[in-house]
Amino acid sequence: MSQTRETLITMANQIATFFQSQGAPDLAARDTAQHIKDFWAPRMRRDLLDMIAAGEAQRLSPIASDAMHRLK
Amino acid sequence: MSLITEKDFGTPASVATETVTLTIDGQAVTVPAGASIMRAAGQMGTQIPKLCATDMLDAFGSCRLCLVEIEGRAGTPASCTTPVANGMVVATQTPKLAKLRKGVMELYISDHPLDCLTCAANGDCELQDMAGAVGLREVRYGYQGHNHLNAATDASNPYFTYDPAKCIVCSRCVRACEDVQGTFALTIAGRGFGSRVSPGQSELFLGSECVSCGACVQACPTATLTETKVIEIGQPEHSAITTCAYCGVGCTFKAEMRGEELVRMVPYKDGKANRGHSCVKGRFAWGYATHRERVLEPMIRASTDDPWTVVSWDEAISHTASEFRRIQAKYGKDSVGGITSSRCTNEETFLVQKLIRAAFHNNNVDTCARVCHSPTGYGLKTTFGASAGTQDFDSVEHCDVMLVMGANPTDAHPVFASRMKKRLRQGAKLIVIDPRRIDLVRSAHIRADHHLALKPGTNVAMLDAIAHVIVTEGLVNETYVRERCDLEDFQHWAAFVARPENSPEALEAVTGVAAQSVRAAARLYATGGNAAIYYGLGVTEHSQGSTTVMAIANLAMATGNIGRPGVGVNPLRGQNNVQGACDMGSFPHELSGYRHISDEGARNLFGADWGVTLDADPGLRIPNMLDAAIEGEFKGIYIQGEDILQSDPNTKHVAAGLAAMECVVVQDLFLNETANLAHVFLPGSTFLEKDGTFTNAERRIQRVRRVMSPRNGYADWEVTQMLARALGYPMDYQHPSQIMDEIARLTPSFAGVSYDRLDALGSIQWPCNETAPEGTPLMHMERFVRGLGRFVVTEYVPTDEKVGPRFPLLLTTGRILSQYNVGAQTRRTENAAWHEEDLLEIHPHDAEERGVKSGDWVKLASRAGETALRAKITDRVAPGVVYTTFHHPLTQANVITTDFSDWATNCPEYKVTAVQVSRGNGPVDWQISYAEKASRSRRIEATS
Amino acid sequence: MSQRVYIPCDMAAVAVGADQVASAITLAAHGLGRDIEIVRNGSRGAFELETLVEVDTPQGRIGYGPVDPSDVAGLVAAGLLDGAEHRLRLGSPDALPFFRRQTRLTFARAGLIDPLSLADYRAHGGLAGIEAATTLTPTQVVDLIKQSGLRGRGGAGFPTGLKWDTVAKAAAPQKYVVCNADEGDSGTFADRLLMEADPFTLIEGMAICGYAVGASLGFIYVRSEYPFAIRMLNRALEIARSGGLLGASVAGTRFAFDIEVRVGAGAYVCGEETALLESLEGKRGQVRAKPPLPAHKGLFGQPTVINNVLSLAAAPYILANGADAYRDFGVGRSRGTMPIQLAGDIANGGLFETPFGVTLGDLVDDIGGGTLSGRAVRAVQVGGPLGAYFPRELFDTPFDYEAFTERGGLIGHGGVVVFNDRVDMARQARFAMEFCAIESCGKCTPCRIGSTRGVETLDRIIAGQDRAANLAVLEDLCETMKFGSLCALGGFTPYPVMSALTHFPEDFGAQASIKAAE
Repeated sequence: MSQTRETLITMANQIATFFQSQGAPDLAARDTAQHIKDFWAPRMRRDLLDMIAAGEAQRLSPIASDAMHRLK
Repeated sequence: MSLITEKDFGTPASVATETVTLTIDGQAVTVPAGASIMRAAGQMGTQIPKLCATDMLDAFGSCRLCLVEIEGRAGTPASCTTPVANGMVVATQTPKLAKLRKGVMELYISDHPLDCLTCAANGDCELQDMAGAVGLREVRYGYQGHNHLNAATDASNPYFTYDPAKCIVCSRCVRACEDVQGTFALTIAGRGFGSRVSPGQSELFLGSECVSCGACVQACPTATLTETKVIEIGQPEHSAITTCAYCGVGCTFKAEMRGEELVRMVPYKDGKANRGHSCVKGRFAWGYATHRERVLEPMIRASTDDPWTVVSWDEAISHTASEFRRIQAKYGKDSVGGITSSRCTNEETFLVQKLIRAAFHNNNVDTCARVCHSPTGYGLKTTFGASAGTQDFDSVEHCDVMLVMGANPTDAHPVFASRMKKRLRQGAKLIVIDPRRIDLVRSAHIRADHHLALKPGTNVAMLDAIAHVIVTEGLVNETYVRERCDLEDFQHWAAFVARPENSPEALEAVTGVAAQSVRAAARLYATGGNAAIYYGLGVTEHSQGSTTVMAIANLAMATGNIGRPGVGVNPLRGQNNVQGACDMGSFPHELSGYRHISDEGARNLFGADWGVTLDADPGLRIPNMLDAAIEGEFKGIYIQGEDILQSDPNTKHVAAGLAAMECVVVQDLFLNETANLAHVFLPGSTFLEKDGTFTNAERRIQRVRRVMSPRNGYADWEVTQMLARALGYPMDYQHPSQIMDEIARLTPSFAGVSYDRLDALGSIQWPCNETAPEGTPLMHMERFVRGLGRFVVTEYVPTDEKVGPRFPLLLTTGRILSQYNVGAQTRRTENAAWHEEDLLEIHPHDAEERGVKSGDWVKLASRAGETALRAKITDRVAPGVVYTTFHHPLTQANVITTDFSDWATNCPEYKVTAVQVSRGNGPVDWQISYAEKASRSRRIEATS
Repeated sequence: MSQRVYIPCDMAAVAVGADQVASAITLAAHGLGRDIEIVRNGSRGAFELETLVEVDTPQGRIGYGPVDPSDVAGLVAAGLLDGAEHRLRLGSPDALPFFRRQTRLTFARAGLIDPLSLADYRAHGGLAGIEAATTLTPTQVVDLIKQSGLRGRGGAGFPTGLKWDTVAKAAAPQKYVVCNADEGDSGTFADRLLMEADPFTLIEGMAICGYAVGASLGFIYVRSEYPFAIRMLNRALEIARSGGLLGASVAGTRFAFDIEVRVGAGAYVCGEETALLESLEGKRGQVRAKPPLPAHKGLFGQPTVINNVLSLAAAPYILANGADAYRDFGVGRSRGTMPIQLAGDIANGGLFETPFGVTLGDLVDDIGGGTLSGRAVRAVQVGGPLGAYFPRELFDTPFDYEAFTERGGLIGHGGVVVFNDRVDMARQARFAMEFCAIESCGKCTPCRIGSTRGVETLDRIIAGQDRAANLAVLEDLCETMKFGSLCALGGFTPYPVMSALTHFPEDFGAQASIKAAE
């Protein structure tokens, strides 16, 4: 697993952490997904989904994970 | 073309609204109350002789040439210091006055060299003009008496010369240094006949506290303080109004020319951003434009190991186009992208993103704002609905409390800093939130009321603590919040900040700042009158950069400090056109005017105009491009006017990304560090060589005017256009004004902007459209752009970049006055006189522990890399914090910085890096080999 | 109770040995087993009597003077402590003609009391002014000062009440009272004398002013050449604070006022009010253009009363005794008394406080007793180095602001300097220009360059070069300086120059009168 792909997990977790802090647990995953959709190139989303599929994204937080599922 | 001359009314304009009518030389004139007689006379076209008066400065009354007679008043009062009054009857020319003026002028000339014909100011000298105006024919005192004719000239400053022999002691330079610049470097030494202008305690200009802003030179009515270039070249003969290409203040200058040679840049009084003031960079540091290292011919090479081959423009363009076509054919259309430049014009920036979206057919466009103010765009759009500062610079004149956070205006935005200092000297209060004791904390006649020297990386905690005080002590402006903001969001936010864990006491251990200081500062901000927040990259360049911007917006809304003069949220933009680059659709996710690429209406508007179908998904941001390159999926890049190898974080990572590409195209003035890894070099043009516009930090669109033909043959927009055509996409602009017309057509906030309009108004602050035909100085006046202001919960999340036993210190970075960004321009000027190298600031305690003395070489290491530089021991930084600048490629501070970034925008976390400092013997290995490698990479093959 | 012996601690007295006299008397009294208390009073102002030693006796205070330290043994042996006869015995000093002829309102306590005893001060009528003031409204206080006719004693003669009124009416968060004690005129010493002999009068005057105009802080700007006065003021301020004359509750009222001493740095021009303010602000002592007036924008940009020591020190008398009691003295528009200072070649030099109206001739010949040298009086310079020279023919001029102005002169700060018949008036004219050249702040051109050119031109005249042409240049220069200068330094330098030229043309060249030069 490469360093650059590992960065994607860090980034997704950072985004999830922010939206989690907004207080509404049900909305955190939705807003995280929307943020990733708004600002990430499709290639990045695809790479992270690939990593999840390959079981290489254990470090992904639950909310980030939930968000990525919504982006499948 | 001729020289633009600005009328000097002698004293500043009165701001009074009521008027006064008086009679001057038999003619009635009506002027604002409080105006001087001199200004009133000037307004009706009567020039009263003067030497010490100039309308950039308050009246001083020392030269005694402007004396007048007033009916019913004894004596001969000075017209500069005497205010008008209703019914006053003034005579400016009487036999008595004529005799007095001649008598005064006779005294002046009795101590002045009689070398007018060979004087550098010949033709531009007020003393000469006045001697003529008063009709002096003879100096009866002779020239044998006491005089200063043999006083020694001080040529220590590289840009101007001080010749005390020609000084008439009008104090204009001293007053300009005090009132306009606020540095207080100059004084009058001695007294009586011995009075002479002196930097500091009879020091040389260069070694004194002088910051070389040029205000004194500008103010001098004689040849006493003269630009060295004027002495060398002679007086200019024509000029054009243009905009400085350095920082985001956007100063207006007159480029004064002799043929195609630039003689000097003179700040323009009618410039709305600078109001006639300048700094050492804009005023003097333009010599890079004709520096011998500038590359004027295109070059290509197959491999970065090869020397460069000079080729024709045609060949360079067709080679580049064929490379991009080849790469896209082989690796897919998303395998290429480009970077627009915050240094280039709006038109050029717009064109590059258009090239990428329309000719590359993807959205892989980004700009250097990514690494500076992208969190500002995100944060202010989210809270207020507009990705820009809320005020104009004039607003500072109405400010009662300034909160300056993560910004160092006196170094990075010096001209605006001077206006801040002026307001502070008038009594405004100051809160500084910065790990480092910036000059504003303590400088001549300025003392910050509170300096919250927080630990790097704890901005959000600090702002939450301030918000906690405002909410829990009942300092919220409830009327404002109820009327202007989303109440539900507010209540949610208020409940959050009111939590005990957000109190200053609870966060003291996090921020390192005493709770009572935080409380006092919070109270001052909330209750001190008009409070304005000014911030810089110390806010944005963090893993919580966007959160910090939103926390700032929350504070402003909660205290009702948005929507009138004197308040607001004011990002201080780093580069000349960083605002413009963002406005122009340089980000991969949005089109010009901040419309998201997924917005079908906007996309179709552009698609129809451009004759293409735009991709609906955001493209790659700079760090993502580099990541993708390392992954082997991104192969070609067009970089206009940015040196990402030196300016972007984690140099090793950037180099690896570039090295993995097959075609790196660099368009720049010089073979910069990035060019060492490039395959195509396209010479760029300077701001002096092209028409266009820049947009400054106050959203002000200002003209850049061509005063010389591009030495490289083409303006940058023309090069982009050639590249588009070579790629098969038609572009046929004859002039940048046509590009602006297209921008206006496609961008609602620019709808009313055109070159004609700009010529008529001087400058325009967007939004400019039907509802605001002359632009918008202050935003969110009646309502927020997004409707109701939105409070966002800003929870403090510590960065992952943490100190530990290996890297126990925190490094933060910044800029110095005389240098600019990566130094590509300023290092190629005489500014090197002030800052030859990057230094590491370290607290005496930390230095002592490591056995480091000032001037020692030290090794600076982080988990990303290491470099060596010299140490400067100072208590400007707190124990545990070190600081350096990133102006010099041989230091490359970004070897040290990591690839942590802002959660929302990927803006790098430049401001927090855990490091270790140890004594060194000199440059580390890579630095030694770097110089050699760089020069090898810069070889240019001799052409046959 | 021990017997009181008064020995001045005044700078002039100390200069002629007062300290040694004091120790010698202490020693001698001890030897005799006499229980004495030495009181270091201020000077009464008759300097040729210093050191003036006074002893309390059953017949009242008996004075001896001038006492040299070497005289002490003999004096004590002769019965000094009992008021016995001696060649230096003066009897009651109050009965001496020099003092008997004075009307001391401002200097009533000078030399009488212990300058640092608030009890002494009160016993001699002190504190009545501030106590009266605080029973009135500030406006009433201002009105009283206006009615008294008091005018600025620094030289300009501006009505003091009007100045206070302007500051009282200015709205500002902070106002100041600034006392100009930068007494730099040649032949003047009244400010110093008062500050050393009766500092509480000045402090009380400033407190009254602060109350009247709404200022809470005062500054006394003292020239550095007055170390005794500076020390005395600082000690007096401490005592005034602990004694309730200053501080959070002045004279037991809710009015708060405090005073700080600031020391100048030796520039004559800092006696000019705006240059003084610049200096107080820590800047180069350079004149400010007016307007704005200090009353509107003074110290640190705030409304400021800036008055001379003597103006402020006149206020307690006016408040304590009423405006009429003061204005009943004087003539014309010059009301009250003027502390005149007699100096130069004069027999009875010293401080002479008297109602306006006394003639110059009376002052010089009668009160002053003519020259000390015994030579004929040739010229008198009144009003400091910028004052005009008066010849004998003008000795009928009454001491009065307007009368002096009419005759091309000024009374200034009340300094009178007498010159005998050996004076060379061309040299004096040159000295005036030279003084201006040395003391010019350098701000305005007529003064900065003109004074130096004036010296050079006078040198040519004195050397007999192109006398007529150079006299014409000098006259033009004086006009340029008079009408063109920013402040009185350059503006008044032509007065001594032109008066010397007008009244003593013979000193500027044999036949060449100014008329002939034309």
